[in-house]
Amino acid sequence: MPDIDDQAFEFLLARGGLDLTSEQKAELRSVYAGIAAMAERVRKPRGYMAEPAHVYDFTEDDLV
Amino acid sequence: MSGAIPTIAEAARLIAAKQLSPVELTRACLDRVHKLDGELHAFVHLTEERALAEARAAEAAISAHGPKGPLHGIPIGLKDIVDTKGVPTTCQSKFLQDNIPDADAACAEKLAAAGTVLIGKTTTHEFADGGPSFDLPKPPARNPWNTEHFTAGSSSGTGAAVAAGLILGGIGTDTGGSIRGPAALCGIAGIKPTYGLVSRAGVAPAAFSLDHIGPMAWTAEDCALMLQALAGHDPRDPASASRPIPNYTAQLGSGVKGLKIGVIHHFHETDHKVSDGTQRGIAAAIATFRDLGAEMREVQVSPLQDWLACGSLISITERAAAFEEWARTRLGDFSERLRSRLMLGAFVTGVDYVQAVRRRRELRAELQAAMKGLDAVLTATQPAEAAKIDAVPKWDLFGPPNFTMPFNVAGYPAISVCSGFGEGGLPLAIQLAGKPFQEPTLLRIADAFEKATQFRERRPALLAA
Repeated sequence: MPDIDDQAFEFLLARGGLDLTSEQKAELRSVYAGIAAMAERVRKPRGYMAEPAHVYDFTEDDLV
Repeated sequence: MSGAIPTIAEAARLIAAKQLSPVELTRACLDRVHKLDGELHAFVHLTEERALAEARAAEAAISAHGPKGPLHGIPIGLKDIVDTKGVPTTCQSKFLQDNIPDADAACAEKLAAAGTVLIGKTTTHEFADGGPSFDLPKPPARNPWNTEHFTAGSSSGTGAAVAAGLILGGIGTDTGGSIRGPAALCGIAGIKPTYGLVSRAGVAPAAFSLDHIGPMAWTAEDCALMLQALAGHDPRDPASASRPIPNYTAQLGSGVKGLKIGVIHHFHETDHKVSDGTQRGIAAAIATFRDLGAEMREVQVSPLQDWLACGSLISITERAAAFEEWARTRLGDFSERLRSRLMLGAFVTGVDYVQAVRRRRELRAELQAAMKGLDAVLTATQPAEAAKIDAVPKWDLFGPPNFTMPFNVAGYPAISVCSGFGEGGLPLAIQLAGKPFQEPTLLRIADAFEKATQFRERRPALLAA
């Protein structure tokens, strides 16, 4: 189960500008593994040329 | 009027034939609001005087010139993240309790132009995410089939109000299933159209690249009538598609003979195994489509978990960006559930987001290939009947994956329709997804299913009480 160390956790909160209570921190940290698993899941073997679909359009191929 | 609640299509025919008065229809809806909404909490703001004025104006215009279309004089509701000129739009949030927009959202404008009668603003999860929340200015909506149960969200009020006949149709929004989920658990029809088909201008964002606006109503036919008024290019929405708008009711009644429908069995049998009742409903739906002459095929795509991971990372990041300022300065003013979702933004790096968007392109190509030669695909909308409202897990995001996110990730149109009732007496549903901009075919299939089954004849028991 992936975890995050104190330093990295505090860095991410500071970078995000989030000021959390200790209770909120504990809760957020408890679901870190869930996000880490999602981040792992979207990483598939793909070359550096694979372009993100930040802009896309439907083509005639969609309609076949 | 008394007794049965008409569909939009039925009411439109009666109004056109001058056998039903829009004022009478509106009063009947308002009567049900007064009788039931204290328990359902489907509305956060009623516009009763405006509704009666609009109904009287519709009646006068119809009497003089006939109806301008099938929505003329039809009572509707708008989810409370949809801007309404001069009418409070709170997004169910402490941040916007005093917000009174000075212009209508595009969808509100279009429905008003079609002659609808606004009954009020319907309950939503705060900014259309998280929920049910009990720490907001207004309570969450409850399921009219059993008020101890959840409606799903975030278009919870519209789902409850349509099912209970407080309105005949309404607007929902859908970033990961927020139209189809409440439609399923409340036993109505709800369509998330193709991304870009309905303008999002004037609607509070949840996650811009996944957000869709769409109709919710008792039947697929009613959704088609509403979609006709809603669809169309709008330069105010940067993602708005510029395409010709077809007739969404033209194919209704044509049946499904010769159509090809794929079933994504692994979504609801392996990736997230649904309840026995939901499985029986899906099996019966497959048999119904076969009996009606459709060709059913098996389809395989990546597991649901892949779609959810992709959609969730995108959604978490875009939402965190939209609400960054308030999260940094007033985090404590969000509901506990939305606050927790926003906090997740700290965990998703820029690289994670881009990898998710790259994955999105792959998944969409995969669905496109899987649907080649098919007219639609079928799977579950929800895993089971509605859970009790106090038993909805806060971190459902990390539980079994939902069935609706794949079609937000792909931007493909998808509709939920009622497929029966479970052992607890609450509705079950199937989800049908079509190809981009092929809503006429999708609605045709959903309509054929509804007309071949008896599930549209049953309304929540509290209406008879």
